[in-house]
Amino acid sequence: MLKRALAIISLLIIGYWLAQGLAGVPFGQDKMLVGQYYLNHVREQTGAVNAVTAVVVNYRGFDTLGEVTVLFIASTGVGALLWRKKRERTAKTEGSVVLKTGAELLFPFIVLFGAYIFIHGHLTPGGGFPGGATIATAFLLLYMAFVGYEIPHRAFEKVEGVAGMGYVLVGLIGLAIGGYFLFDWIWLTWKWGAENIGRLFSAGFIPVIYTLIGIKVGTELSGIIDNMLKEEVGE
Amino acid sequence: MNALTALGEALVLIGTFFYFLSALGLIRMPDVYNRMQTSTKSATLGSLGVIVGVGIWALGEDFGSVAWLTKTIVIAVFLLLTNPISAHALIRAAYRSGIPLWEGSVMDKYREHIEAKAKGEEGETPKEGGGE
Repeated sequence: MLKRALAIISLLIIGYWLAQGLAGVPFGQDKMLVGQYYLNHVREQTGAVNAVTAVVVNYRGFDTLGEVTVLFIASTGVGALLWRKKRERTAKTEGSVVLKTGAELLFPFIVLFGAYIFIHGHLTPGGGFPGGATIATAFLLLYMAFVGYEIPHRAFEKVEGVAGMGYVLVGLIGLAIGGYFLFDWIWLTWKWGAENIGRLFSAGFIPVIYTLIGIKVGTELSGIIDNMLKEEVGE
Repeated sequence: MNALTALGEALVLIGTFFYFLSALGLIRMPDVYNRMQTSTKSATLGSLGVIVGVGIWALGEDFGSVAWLTKTIVIAVFLLLTNPISAHALIRAAYRSGIPLWEGSVMDKYREHIEAKAKGEEGETPKEGGGE
């Protein structure tokens, strides 16, 4: 009781303190300094219509590379923490017929929709991370509906690594052509798709990188699901 | 306002009405199974009305195009396919984890089926059945 009261009082104090800090920020006024630059120059500098993906992939590509690394470390960490010699799925109840049929029917459509999200990252909201998460959802659905289902491990882990390497490789090609890492060579040097802004084949290397990230995130999250659903079995 | 706008507005109104009925059913009904029954059916119908209604509504406006209707129909079909499956899985899981029926219900064929099945399996294994 005393503990809870103390916690509530200290939280109230912290909340009041944060609110005092936010009271100095004028809402609804135009305070954009860098943001205005992004909005004014995003079309001719990156070719993307979606300013968010242009910032995430082009202007601040290092952050995205870091995020991809964080996900990779998370996946590897889960794998290392749960590592045993012999592990299998020990789920007991099979899903009902309705669930199994539904999962089977819906699986290709969910994967298709995930691919749509990450391919159209420069045109519509979304990008590699939501698209990859959607694809992982499709695999989660299969795991939930079928007792014996497992992802094809060898293919998945290789694809994951190749996609991550592809991202770094695209950045290194930019380093060779333009002089700095993650330089958008397809757009700034080749001017590929320059008269095509707002359509699918535009925006330099944003679709390429988002396809790689989408594949990587999808396989990675599926791998985490797989690791967490398995249990150790005795000989 | 032309006919398409009016039709879309009417569909959205019908959809919101069914949303309201679905929320009402959540409060009104006595047990989990009845609540799921009312809420899933009317929420699915309500979403279909609202979603397709928005697509048709946009067709009647100046800014609208067929792209709106296409997207809304795709979303509606997806909801129509997934909502019943999720309701089915939820109800089945609820029954399997032993949530009781409302005391006013008179019949439980599923329990009888499970018990008959368990009995049949016992009869098949000869040692256990014949020993007693």
